[in-house]
Amino acid sequence: MIYVIDHKDSFTQNIVHQFSLFDKVECDDLSQINKSKLNKASTIVFSPGPGSPKDYPESSKIYNRFKGKKKIIGICLGFQQILYCEGANIVEQKKIYHGFQSEIITNKFSNLFDNGSKFKVGRYHSLKLKEPFYAKNFYVTMRCVKSKVAMSFENNKDKIYGFQFHPESFLTINGNLLIKKILSA
Amino acid sequence: MIKNNFLNKINNSKKSYIIYKTTKGFNLYTDFSSKIILNNKNIDKFLSKKFKYNKNYKNTDLFIGFFGYEILNNLIKVKLPKQKNINFPKGIFYKPEKKITLKEDLIYYSNKSYKVNKNFKININKKSYTKIFNRFIKKIRAGETYQIKICTKYKNKSKIDPLDFFCRLSKTNLAPEAFMIKDKNFSIISCSPENLITKKGSYISTKPIAGTLRKTKKINKKKALKFFKNNIKETKEHNMIVDMERSDLSKVCKPGSVKLIKEKTVEEYKDLYHYVSLIRGKLKKNVKNIDIIKAMMPGGSVIGCPKISTLNLLNNQEKENRNIYTGSFGFIKFNGDMRFNIIIRSILNYKNISEISVASGVVVDSNSNHEFNENFIKAKALIDLYK
Repeated sequence: MIYVIDHKDSFTQNIVHQFSLFDKVECDDLSQINKSKLNKASTIVFSPGPGSPKDYPESSKIYNRFKGKKKIIGICLGFQQILYCEGANIVEQKKIYHGFQSEIITNKFSNLFDNGSKFKVGRYHSLKLKEPFYAKNFYVTMRCVKSKVAMSFENNKDKIYGFQFHPESFLTINGNLLIKKILSA
Repeated sequence: MIKNNFLNKINNSKKSYIIYKTTKGFNLYTDFSSKIILNNKNIDKFLSKKFKYNKNYKNTDLFIGFFGYEILNNLIKVKLPKQKNINFPKGIFYKPEKKITLKEDLIYYSNKSYKVNKNFKININKKSYTKIFNRFIKKIRAGETYQIKICTKYKNKSKIDPLDFFCRLSKTNLAPEAFMIKDKNFSIISCSPENLITKKGSYISTKPIAGTLRKTKKINKKKALKFFKNNIKETKEHNMIVDMERSDLSKVCKPGSVKLIKEKTVEEYKDLYHYVSLIRGKLKKNVKNIDIIKAMMPGGSVIGCPKISTLNLLNNQEKENRNIYTGSFGFIKFNGDMRFNIIIRSILNYKNISEISVASGVVVDSNSNHEFNENFIKAKALIDLYK
């Protein structure tokens, strides 16, 4: 079972439906986390949401508790939340991408996706990962073709994955395939 | 001529009535056998009501009316701070006993000459608008909201003939979700273009609009599409709303059933082009109408995104109750089918005070001057009726 933790976002149900294509999905608001669902889940997903990772200490706690024990996936804010827990700085960027379609490219650090493959994705973020960033076993694996901003990471040892863009957006081409690959990794 | 006489007759009869646009013309509902004034206590009961209906189902077996903005916030547990309030009902639904079909060209001769006041007062001047605008830009940069709509309100004191206003408005702007309500101490006149919920059987759809272009001789449908596609601000706002509405529908629909039926197409109306999308899904089993209303309202396209954090930002900033503005008008049939719009481009006249609210979107690259004027342009079509 996949447990989606919702940060009161207006895109979360799209994620729930997308992940439902591959497994049973449960979703609760962060303020109403069900402990038995959390323990039962094989995968935890941190949803997008308003604000920045420092606003969600409860999500950080959940991440730190289950890191290495369950597969963990973060989307948009969830992506930032995981990196924040790994010591990253999440900062405002000059250009803001709310409702943007951008082209991104996969690099050689990816285990799951072919090096150099390009595709179009939907973005909703004003904050970004400040680089350089180093954390053990974490690799930035996709970047925006134009701005070079980090768009995904993989930690294949601990099975932790994140997307800064929205794989569930109608603006993302082949979003379902991305999720399928991550879930079967 | 019979129908025209009918409009004059019903207006003179002092009966309450409602007119609602259909694809071909209008429906008029009257002879109300009950009127339910909604509050936070009775709304759950009203929406959970199971209606008796059988094969002898009548075309008046429905409740028609509106939800105001405040009650829709309260339904999803968003509280409003203390605001200036005219104590207008939070929502009203009527049970009609008579329905009359009217043609598209409403002809009505207003036989009373009211003194209509042309001057309106705005509740936020340009200076305070810019202040709010800049505060919200900071919130967007910090990621607290992705898009937010600042609402301004125009008010004046005047006695109006709502049917005369509605007929004149329908001549210049025949909107697909237009409606009017005439009741004893209030009236609503609206040329809303936007359908929020169409529920038929187990299917539900929503049709968000983001992008409006006034028709001229030089602009055809093809050029309008090009205009919208090249307009980055409209495109971004539209994208955001499509994903938000997909998510709202997904709360009540079967996984995998929510589909984008029309993606960013241009619809042509009498005087305008709208940039619209159509999203449809199949309802989960055992979903109740109250679940649908909580999932979809208040309609996201006129609020901003994400809905909850943006509502909180808006509510903490607004000093006056929105009343009907960005609420929803429509009907619930006894067989469970529903149609609801978003109440925008509307006049509320309550106890001889008219108010017109308008809003336009702040995204990070919008400009406060432009948006302030945009608000005025939206209000002007309605203000011009006061002549």
